Amino acid sequence: MIDITGLVSTILNNQVNIPLLYVIYEFLLKIPVIGSIVTFLLSIIPLFDVPIIRLLIGFVLWKPMWVLLIIPGFATLGTMLLILPWLERKLVGRMQWRVGPREIAPRTRGSIQLLADSLRFLCQEVIIHKDAHRLYFLQFPFLYFLPVLLPLLFINAGAIDHPLVPIETPYALQIMVGLISLMPVFIMGVGWSSNNRFAFIGTVREAFMYFAYEIPFIIVILAMIVLYGTSNTAEVITVANQGSWLHWGIVLNPLAALTFFIATVMATARLPFEIPEADQELAFGPFIEYSGIAFGLAYVMAYEKMYVLSAIMTMLFLGGGSGPVIPYLGELSYGIWFVIKTLIILLVMVNLRGVYPRYRLDQGLRIGWGAMLILALIALVWSIVIGVVL
Amino acid sequence: MENPNAHIDFLESGPLAPFKKWAAKWSLWPCHFITSCCGVELAHAFACGYDGERLGTLNLGIARQSNFIIIEGTITRKMARALQFVYGQMPDPKFVNVIGACGERGGIFWNSYNITHPSDIVPVDFFVPGCPITPEGLLRGVRALQDKIMGVDKTTIDFKKVELPFEEQLEERMVPTSPKLFAPTPEIKVDIKREVDWDFGKELEDKLKKELIGLYESMTITGVNRIAIKTTPGNLKVVAQKLKEMQFDHVKSVNVIQVPHERKFIVEYMAASYSVEELMPVLVTIFTEIGIKDPKLQSLMSVWESANYSEREMHEFFGVLFEGNDWMGKKFLLAPDTPDLPLRKEFKIPEERYAFEEGVEPEFMVPIEPPKDLYVPIWEEFIEKAYDSDEIIVPIGPHHAGSGHLRVTFRVKGDRIVDAIPEPGFVHRSMEKLAENKLYIQNIPLFERLAINDPANMNLAYVRAIENALSVEVPERAQYLRTIMAELSRIEAFYYDSGIFSLFFGHTTGFMYCMAIREMIIEALMQISGSRSGPSFIVPGGLRRDIPDTVLELIDNMTFALNRRMKKFESIFVYNPVTVARAKGVGVLTKEDAIRCGMVGPFLRASGVNYDVRKIAPYDAYDKVDFEVTTGDDGDCLGRFLGRLAEIKESVKIVKQAVDAVKGIQGPILSDDILGEYKEAASDIKGNFFRVYGNLVLPKGEWTTITEAARGTTLFTLISDGESNVPYRVRVISPCWMNLRGFMEAVKGERYADFWAVYGSFGYFPPEADR
Repeated sequence: MIDITGLVSTILNNQVNIPLLYVIYEFLLKIPVIGSIVTFLLSIIPLFDVPIIRLLIGFVLWKPMWVLLIIPGFATLGTMLLILPWLERKLVGRMQWRVGPREIAPRTRGSIQLLADSLRFLCQEVIIHKDAHRLYFLQFPFLYFLPVLLPLLFINAGAIDHPLVPIETPYALQIMVGLISLMPVFIMGVGWSSNNRFAFIGTVREAFMYFAYEIPFIIVILAMIVLYGTSNTAEVITVANQGSWLHWGIVLNPLAALTFFIATVMATARLPFEIPEADQELAFGPFIEYSGIAFGLAYVMAYEKMYVLSAIMTMLFLGGGSGPVIPYLGELSYGIWFVIKTLIILLVMVNLRGVYPRYRLDQGLRIGWGAMLILALIALVWSIVIGVVL
Repeated sequence: MENPNAHIDFLESGPLAPFKKWAAKWSLWPCHFITSCCGVELAHAFACGYDGERLGTLNLGIARQSNFIIIEGTITRKMARALQFVYGQMPDPKFVNVIGACGERGGIFWNSYNITHPSDIVPVDFFVPGCPITPEGLLRGVRALQDKIMGVDKTTIDFKKVELPFEEQLEERMVPTSPKLFAPTPEIKVDIKREVDWDFGKELEDKLKKELIGLYESMTITGVNRIAIKTTPGNLKVVAQKLKEMQFDHVKSVNVIQVPHERKFIVEYMAASYSVEELMPVLVTIFTEIGIKDPKLQSLMSVWESANYSEREMHEFFGVLFEGNDWMGKKFLLAPDTPDLPLRKEFKIPEERYAFEEGVEPEFMVPIEPPKDLYVPIWEEFIEKAYDSDEIIVPIGPHHAGSGHLRVTFRVKGDRIVDAIPEPGFVHRSMEKLAENKLYIQNIPLFERLAINDPANMNLAYVRAIENALSVEVPERAQYLRTIMAELSRIEAFYYDSGIFSLFFGHTTGFMYCMAIREMIIEALMQISGSRSGPSFIVPGGLRRDIPDTVLELIDNMTFALNRRMKKFESIFVYNPVTVARAKGVGVLTKEDAIRCGMVGPFLRASGVNYDVRKIAPYDAYDKVDFEVTTGDDGDCLGRFLGRLAEIKESVKIVKQAVDAVKGIQGPILSDDILGEYKEAASDIKGNFFRVYGNLVLPKGEWTTITEAARGTTLFTLISDGESNVPYRVRVISPCWMNLRGFMEAVKGERYADFWAVYGSFGYFPPEADR
């Protein structure tokens, strides 16, 4: 028997504190007609002595659910997927002496371009060619959301004393690494089920690159665990923000931050490590046979991964959601700082496209197994020196 | 293809119609399917300056991910297959725009034997005319399509026929035309003796006579730096070997001339030397005559590897069998459904006419059946061999994000390319055949379409062949102006290649910067001639009209702006560590290999051979300006790329010197020799064009000139019978055609991803190679 009343009180006692919402609520009550509507809605009390509207809002504002759904969860991810490719096109366009998408909505600099693109993909035919493995061909782009969305459960977007994390566990970082390591498996599945020469080459490249970045990546995470002395994301933020920004991961261990960043670029196949997808060489590699909405999903795959990895980087190296408190926003301000930091990392990553050409596979592997591995090991030793010895 | 507007109808159906239409309108993604030379202007339309991405059209992805094809001009029979399959691969709803005149009814190539009409193959939404089209035109086509999707009807333009009365004072001018005069039984001789002032030639002739004693039938000096040796088919190979021992180490051209009424073929090889400096300008033609029935000849491939691809080509065009060449009986340039032996005189193409008489329907090419098969020249044994040795076969192109109009079939083992088999001919527009049916002067715009990103040099190369035949001296002012145009054109071509080079590395910024630099040069060419990339400005004897000082001033100023932008390009792409890592030590072509494969131009010089036609046989004003020839020793991708960047700087230097010099020279820009009685046209040919040039007849014989175009030595051989006002045979060897052999040589043994580094570094431009 589930104790529903207890659950409701748990939800209502663990709410995100945003003073601005009360201000809005009181303002709404003052407006003549809307005020009475709000009062009427709040008077419907079918069960548990709580107005149903209050229950619904309370559910969204329930801390774990708020973090998962709004910031830095699904809503932020969705917004990012819609504006990040547009921002990329605009920024790279500016670097290249042009304007990028514009005419669709000239006043807002074409900001709804991605809406048109995604709608077009949605209304387009999805071709499953006869050599493809039907079942897996269609499944994998959807299944890919699983390893992308699950790490969001452990990301802490809060600041010191205000953890904003859906699930608090002492093994959070380990679980996240495990889930992130799953991502390339799905891309390989995509390439394998496409049954195409270029998809095959792209898949093999992806597998090679996977090993090249994964080991430095894991070592760097290990270095950060050693540095913070914990792998619980809630405690990581507390440790990182002890004094001021001087305890952030990027200050204490800049080498680890650099290695993590390069590993992120490699993992998301951005230039200069756009090796598995290589437009000119392999014509999108594993995704070559996808069309319509299936390609739309495959196209945003890399952006999803970028967002998750940048969020982890913000949490580990940039002190999570810590920042000057914005009045009236309460705990929302942590979320805002978190998203801003993440966005900055994303933009740096996106801008690489305008600056660097593409490495060859063997060169990418050499960087992964050579320079990055050495950097990661140095970072680990450095962490031991700082975190354990000192 | 029952309902050509089916895709529009789909968008208009269902409750979501407004959203579907809106999304399709703003998200037209053209697929990477570059079909012909208008692709150059497509690049401009989507680069900075015009920026097609403003409209939401993003050049990303291949057929499966896009919904829009922009067909750039000519669709050859080979390309028609690719087009059909690309269109089939695209998800519905999809749209097609055709740009360029040749996509409509063939344009300048309308009577070619190798082209088809795109509208027979796919349903076309919009045609954009122009040859080549301008980027504005292309983007207007996109806008028109957007309007069509939204339901604005722009299907027809109402044409109305109006009779315009002539004013009293003006005489009625007919469309300029000269009747073509074909001699019925012309006498074709390729070794006509000429008295020339060439001392070295006499020495060389004596030496050759001593070496080849008993092996030749006759030896003649046919002009300065030209010697023709006649021999028997049996002795051909021995003569070739002897010549090779005398350091004539490569072949510039293999040519076959058919003389039907004498029932013979004349087969000639033009040998030249890269090893000995004083032999460099000399072209030794060895030729022999064989019967028209069952024509067979020993292949000289084993002596001169550089003859390989040209022999394959001649085999396809004339049916001459070169015994020993491993490609005999297979298709190389042509598609399986192209007419057999198209360059033989028996095969006639529809003759060109200007004005049709009343009631006569113009006789266009018979509509060609859309091809049913995907023709890929991979044979069973090839696949089996690859399978046995644990390799995979990867065909690239012509529909690929990084292939251009070329198909290369790789055998890849691991990450290494074991073998690369090229398949050119996707843009083979049959220029050599078309030129035999046009007046000499009409061929100028035709040959300019060899490379529309290097127009002035192609123009100059052909015009120089005519001038050489007529012994015309170009006035000094015109010489300088022609030099300016040629060098601007050279810079333009090099920046196009650099842009493609950076694009092949995934570096779009470098591509955009290059296109921005090209825009400036195109602006200068536009100020000169009025056309972006098809000026047709250089005519036999000089230029079409004088270039005013204001334009020269503009060109001078432009060179400074060019320098600034050049530095930006260098800082973002050339000094980029990734570029250096990708290009250094990759695709090495040693000096021996480069000579063996008969490389030309900057790619030869990058391998360490100091050969530049501008220096060894100066033409126009090149002997009066000061410039250095850039050579390198590495022969790798980076060397070839940096070599061309260094040549750009030299070209800028030449332009500056020429602009300074020409300001002090006043005078005519057209030679008196060619004007004859029309002296008033000395500064502007307008109004007298066809009177002066219409009935140009070249003296009998063979006229070969070599010119340094941007990508290397361009060779034009005009064969005239001395009676007709059309050439009897035109042989064009474009630089990219010569470079293809070395390109394939450099790819072998490299990594799969290095193919694009090598491709970009060779600046291989398929329309130029395929002709």
